[in-house]
Amino acid sequence: MHPVFRLVNRNLTISLNMGFVIWQVIFPIIYIFVAGFAYTALIHSVPFGSKSLNYPAFIASGMIGFNIMNSTLISGIIIWNDRRHGMFEQILVGPFTRAQYILSNVYTIGIIGLVSAGLITAIGYPIFFKSVEFNVLTIPLVVFASMTGAILFGSIASIISTRLKSSEGFNVVINTAFLFFAFVSTAFYPAQGAPPILATAFYLNPLTYLVDVVRVGIFGNFTGTVGYEMIILTVLAVIFFGIATKLLSRLEI
Amino acid sequence: MLCIEAKSLFRSYGNVTAVDGIDISVESGKIFGFLGPNGAGKTTTMKLLTTLIPPSSGTITILGIDASRHPLDVRKKIGVVLQQPSYEPTLTVEKSLEKYGMMWDIDIKTRRDRVEELLTAFDLQDIRKKKNDDISIGQRRRVQVAREFMHDMDLLFLDEPTAGLDPSARRGLLDYIKGKVRDGLTIFFTTHILEEAEYLCDEIAIINRGKIIAVDTPDELKNKFGREKTIKIRIGQMQEISGMLQGVRNYDVSHDEGTVITIHSADSEQILAKILQVLQSNNIQIEDLSVVPTSLEEIFLTVVKNSNASSISSGK
Ligand SMILES: Nc1ncnc2c1ncn2[C@@H]1O[C@H](COP(=O)(O)OP(=O)(O)OP(=O)(O)O)[C@@H](O)[C@H]1O
Ligand SMILES: [Mg+2]
Repeated sequence: MHPVFRLVNRNLTISLNMGFVIWQVIFPIIYIFVAGFAYTALIHSVPFGSKSLNYPAFIASGMIGFNIMNSTLISGIIIWNDRRHGMFEQILVGPFTRAQYILSNVYTIGIIGLVSAGLITAIGYPIFFKSVEFNVLTIPLVVFASMTGAILFGSIASIISTRLKSSEGFNVVINTAFLFFAFVSTAFYPAQGAPPILATAFYLNPLTYLVDVVRVGIFGNFTGTVGYEMIILTVLAVIFFGIATKLLSRLEI
Repeated sequence: MLCIEAKSLFRSYGNVTAVDGIDISVESGKIFGFLGPNGAGKTTTMKLLTTLIPPSSGTITILGIDASRHPLDVRKKIGVVLQQPSYEPTLTVEKSLEKYGMMWDIDIKTRRDRVEELLTAFDLQDIRKKKNDDISIGQRRRVQVAREFMHDMDLLFLDEPTAGLDPSARRGLLDYIKGKVRDGLTIFFTTHILEEAEYLCDEIAIINRGKIIAVDTPDELKNKFGREKTIKIRIGQMQEISGMLQGVRNYDVSHDEGTVITIHSADSEQILAKILQVLQSNNIQIEDLSVVPTSLEEIFLTVVKNSNASSISSGK
């Protein structure tokens, strides 16, 4: 087996434990089924381009992006643990290069991101299937968004993991950052109708772009704005991936 | 064949010169011991030799491969147990061995056999199902060392592998290593524990402040630096013998079990001859006579002390 796949195999083995599965499956289910239906009393429908979606469908599609983002925390955690428990050095003194280590993390993020997206799509499908408009263009959109989003957020988590020394620091910073990303975004509520400051803040947040592209992939309604959002998502992913790679390749031993 | 050949290696961290121009050569099939006090540069040397960090200058050839040009080729053929602990906290002991074998591309059948063999050899059967997070530090160290034997290698680097091990685990490990060397493995081994080096190593280098200050076989080191011998002579009766031994120097008399005369000097043989003469002419029976061999520890302390003294006097 290629060295990178051996590392991916190891990454998946050490990351996939009960806690992670709960984090990845139970939380989104609670959001979709509890929050989604509880809020329908307040929110009857959410405008989405020319369509209007019911709130559970809106939030279920938002959860796909949310879940991709959360799943990529894994890459930060792997790097963080590898440094803390000496496995980083041990791997680099084994039959691997730094580039392979970095690449294996990218693949791990990609795989976990896609599986998470698939999982939530499957869970949410019964809820949003009435409004779904899958076609040749839309499914690749969801896959594109999953991959770019995974790389973008995986890089952010990696950057944080290389910059921090104490373990409390790591948890606090990463949770704060991801909490901000989650709640100041269009994952839970639409930007249309939000107070202008908040709506602007939504668009300073890459999760918004990720969620918007996923939604278009599911509900159709492709517009020029979404095209821009895809470009921004790609550019951000490239920039952050570049920074993460640079920091990782310079990480002191 | 030379397994390790390093020439004029230098490595500094900022303005600290951790490795200050050392040469090392290790023949294949040997156990090479690397001794030195804390901060001497042992770990840094090991990191250089295993390509984990690049030297500031100097050349390193490992198993005939130029280590700075082809570090990956070197790493594929060596095993390394670093001084720093390394483990996967969420995996069980057996799983972490198994996964480590997978990382080294060992086929699954061989992997399973080796896991069993190593769990037994390193006395880990009882904790095989426990997570690495839930075992003691010494047990974790054993897992770390055992793990390295999951893959094949021509040369193994061990940085204080026995640190934190109890005496029986330590002996078990040293014997396991000896067995592997009989099968053709070459070992580069650092330690603080002198008996360990003496028990295990074919050749020993002592490093201090980044410089190698002595290299030789343990016996030769003792010959060179261990001329000061200690000889004990025990005579049965309580005797006041200092009066008889006037003119003889470098001895000590104590009276805990009978009377014991201890000679400690570089020319203890001559002093012994004189004392024996005196005892004989006074008709005193000798009950026991023993030569306490110079331990490597004493040599180590002497050599390091001398090297510190000379670097101070030379203004360093
Ligand atoms: N990463 C680092 N950054 C700065 N200085 C370092 C670093 N690693 C080691 N040093 C310095 O280099 C010198 C040699 O350290 P090294 O770890 O090689 O010693 P050692 O012989 O392995 O000691 P010990 O017996 O305590 O393990 C020391 O003065 C140490 O302070
Ligand atoms: Mg050390």
